[in-house]
Amino acid sequence: MKPTGILFFPAFDWAISPTHPEREERLLYTRDQIFEEGIMDLPQIREYQPGLATHKDIARVHFCVPDIDSQITEAHLISAGSALRMADAVINGEVRNGFAIVRPPGHHSMTVVHGNRGFCNINNEAIMIEYLRRKYGMKRIAIVDTDVHHGDGTQEIFWDDPDVLFISFHQDGRTLYPGSGFMDENGGPLAYGTTINIPLAPRTTDEGILFILDNLVMPILEEFKPDLVINSAGQDNHYSDPLANMCFTAQGYAKLNRRLNPDIAVLEGGYSVESALPYINMGLIMAMAGIDFSNLKEPDYSPEQFKEPRGNREALERIVNTQLRVFREREEKIAQARAKEQRPFRMEMRNIFYDTDYIHETQQVELRMCKNCLGFKIIMSSARHPSGEYYNVACVSIPLHGCKNCQEEGQYAYQTLQKGKYQLVYLQNKVDDDYRVTDTKTGYETRL
Amino acid sequence: MLIGIDVGGTFTDGVLFDDRKIRFTVKKPTQDDNLEQTLLEVLDELLAAADGNKISRVVLSTTLVTNLLATGQGERTALLMLPGYGLPHQAYSVTRDIYFLKGAVDFRGRVIEGIDQQQLQEILQDIQGKGIKRIAVACKFSNRNSSLEQQIRDFIQKADPEMQVTISAEVSGKLNFPRRAATTYFTAMTLPEWNRFADSMSQAIQARIADVEIHILKADGGTMPIEASRHQPCETVFSGPAASTMGAVALSRDQKNSVVVDIGGTTTDISLVIAGDPLYASKGARIENHYTHIDAFAVRSIALGGDSVIRCRENSIKVSPIRVGPAACFGGSEPTVTDAFNVYYKLGVGDAGRSQELLQSLAASGGMSMDDLCFYVVETVIERLKRAITEMFTEWENEPAYKVWEVIHRRKFRLDQLIGIGASAYAIVPILADEIGVPAYIHTHSPVANALGAAVVRPTLSLRLHVDTANSLYIVDPGGIRGTVERPRNFQLADAKVLALSLLEEISREKDIDKYTANAKFFMEEQFNMIRGWNQIGKIFEVGVQVAPGFIEEYQGVSE
Repeated sequence: MKPTGILFFPAFDWAISPTHPEREERLLYTRDQIFEEGIMDLPQIREYQPGLATHKDIARVHFCVPDIDSQITEAHLISAGSALRMADAVINGEVRNGFAIVRPPGHHSMTVVHGNRGFCNINNEAIMIEYLRRKYGMKRIAIVDTDVHHGDGTQEIFWDDPDVLFISFHQDGRTLYPGSGFMDENGGPLAYGTTINIPLAPRTTDEGILFILDNLVMPILEEFKPDLVINSAGQDNHYSDPLANMCFTAQGYAKLNRRLNPDIAVLEGGYSVESALPYINMGLIMAMAGIDFSNLKEPDYSPEQFKEPRGNREALERIVNTQLRVFREREEKIAQARAKEQRPFRMEMRNIFYDTDYIHETQQVELRMCKNCLGFKIIMSSARHPSGEYYNVACVSIPLHGCKNCQEEGQYAYQTLQKGKYQLVYLQNKVDDDYRVTDTKTGYETRL
Repeated sequence: MLIGIDVGGTFTDGVLFDDRKIRFTVKKPTQDDNLEQTLLEVLDELLAAADGNKISRVVLSTTLVTNLLATGQGERTALLMLPGYGLPHQAYSVTRDIYFLKGAVDFRGRVIEGIDQQQLQEILQDIQGKGIKRIAVACKFSNRNSSLEQQIRDFIQKADPEMQVTISAEVSGKLNFPRRAATTYFTAMTLPEWNRFADSMSQAIQARIADVEIHILKADGGTMPIEASRHQPCETVFSGPAASTMGAVALSRDQKNSVVVDIGGTTTDISLVIAGDPLYASKGARIENHYTHIDAFAVRSIALGGDSVIRCRENSIKVSPIRVGPAACFGGSEPTVTDAFNVYYKLGVGDAGRSQELLQSLAASGGMSMDDLCFYVVETVIERLKRAITEMFTEWENEPAYKVWEVIHRRKFRLDQLIGIGASAYAIVPILADEIGVPAYIHTHSPVANALGAAVVRPTLSLRLHVDTANSLYIVDPGGIRGTVERPRNFQLADAKVLALSLLEEISREKDIDKYTANAKFFMEEQFNMIRGWNQIGKIFEVGVQVAPGFIEEYQGVSE
């Protein structure tokens, strides 16, 4: 059997700030544990060297304001690049599956990036998905977000994309950052039902999460038939995590991954650096590599320690029923939306808060309700940065399989918007893999 | 004057070196069943040549431990493992005599489960019942806290004073439990035999030479005094390739990127030298298919040498891995790789007519022209060596990196030269270098580069210090010694470095190699703020300092 790929990049020289949860120490004990176990020496494991993502890889997903370099550090390029390296190894058949144990994380990063949200600047999994579609022509991809926080960034990026199934289970948004991920967030009008949220009550245990996995996540994956399954692998559902309130264990994580059997797992959050991460990461590696993990446990764990909250099973059953219905009705709902929609554009206003950098962003999103493709999109975004600079930008995105008409209209919009009030106008043309920004003051255009 | 002796699989080489000159060389067939005899014969010839001049140091590179391990002649040894939680027990397979014990330590050095004396008692009885007299003990994370291993040793030695017990914390302090367990097991297995050898060699040499330093060559290309070797016999494995590589560097004396190609009778060893420094194997020496914590050069051995015999069967030519004797041009009975190069490139090595004669008749028996035969052999040899070199580069470039700085400053290798050593290098290395497109460097003394390497390298010593200020403790590898950090709240990286250096000096004094610590350099400096909640509770430092492989000061090169 082919080995499992492991790419371990702990970024021992990078932190958001010296005392921040996202600091050098985060993967130190994980390093100690997996190196002491000698896991990289096993024939079932193949270790990979980190890679570097290019600016173009990032531009395929994000509009960085004012530019990519002011939003990222080299650590971000390596973290994202390592996910790409792992993906290459899996697609090329060098390994059966792969786990990128990398930081900084990415699943709170949305399409437009003004700063850091929830410890994330750029979205590693989204960058990987666009890379896989571009490089290998991959069509259907499922991403299961197992972080305790709702993967709102990934959800927003693929909100209007029916080819990317996004399933997130997380602690209920009424009790935890980022305060979203409710049952009725099901995707855009042309991609209804491929965004599935599973808000869980605080103190849900292994039992509850595995129930959701077996009865909801796995059936949906089976019906969706993705070419690739990605685990956006947060580790903060753990009972010892300081930033959340769930009761998941290392055994639970291992079982989840054994059953989910993801092709690629990418580390996201998880801040119980000493009591949880070393054991969860071992569990994930062993599960993915087909190694017996029955001898794994946290030193302080005993099986009687945690009980499912009372009445949780009934609540979970309701979630399962509702979300299975949402998923199964998706084609019908999309057809209805297309039939009902009379306006050429569907408009939406929203406010986005960046907790790490304390930025308030205002967005107006216009989606072309195209009959032939997913429609091009315009995002008008404004925000004051911590530097004091106020930015008002317009971003045009043409989808990968955009029709001729949407391509032309998108190009036209890119030109026209430059005459407006925006300092920067972006074009993300996924059809031609062409990414541009015009500084309207100087008229200077950068192109990737 | 200096003496270096390298015991090889086929031959044992010795050199007498003094004042930039190789005064005398000896080459004798190795008697595998009597290494001491071989060594002393070579030594005596060198001493005769020294003619009463003062010998200040003798360095031996021997295959004693390598042979013991490779031939399975090591005495039966039990391995007690304390794996705690993690991989399943069946992941560990160094020997059939493995016993798993209760007891566990975590990465911060906290004991999370004590040992069970009842269980230990039963296991000891079982071991005694099998007549086993040597025990290796390895606990996961014993490099952070060796108290469980020490308790076990105390228990066993109290119950059975005859039992030899080796604990892993004293063998290696590096992370990687399976490698540490394997290294400890092999150490326990070879310790008494090695010590017998060390005793008798010390005596024999001291009887011949007054007031001489006796050193043993290690796999990492450095030496250790014979007294210091008594705790770490496994460090002597693969010292042969280390001798050759250091010999190559001793001859070339430059800061170039080189491939060292050591072409022996039946094997070719290839190693990399990056800007003048030999490259280490990232996973340590491999013994009997087990990775270990023994630092060794990254050497790729190919079963192909100058004396590899060429055979011909039913129109197919085979470069056989076996040796039946020297090349035909040196009086052998069958044509070899050296003969094929000799004829094809008209090198005029030895009796070239004899090369041609035997190749001609071999070609005729296979129904082909001699030219075609030689071309095929040359092509095969060059291709195999080229492939091995390329693979080594790729492996090295693909080594993992764990810091942003390392990824951004990604290493790239530009090859400057091939250094050929070994008796058959003349015939093959220039052609190989030409194919690769770099110059070949072959010194007149390259046939004895291995023994020269042994004679002139300096001792090496590597020390790692792990400091955990939240627990006010530090732990040192080698030795696994724990100490207390005074004023932990004020302890900084600079303090950790000062501490590491002073510990290195202390250990050097104990080992009697303190005159070399001036060459010590830091190879690792890591520090981590430990935050719990939003408060800093301490720092963790990992500092490494070493006297890297190099040459003793009096060595200033060899005149041609």
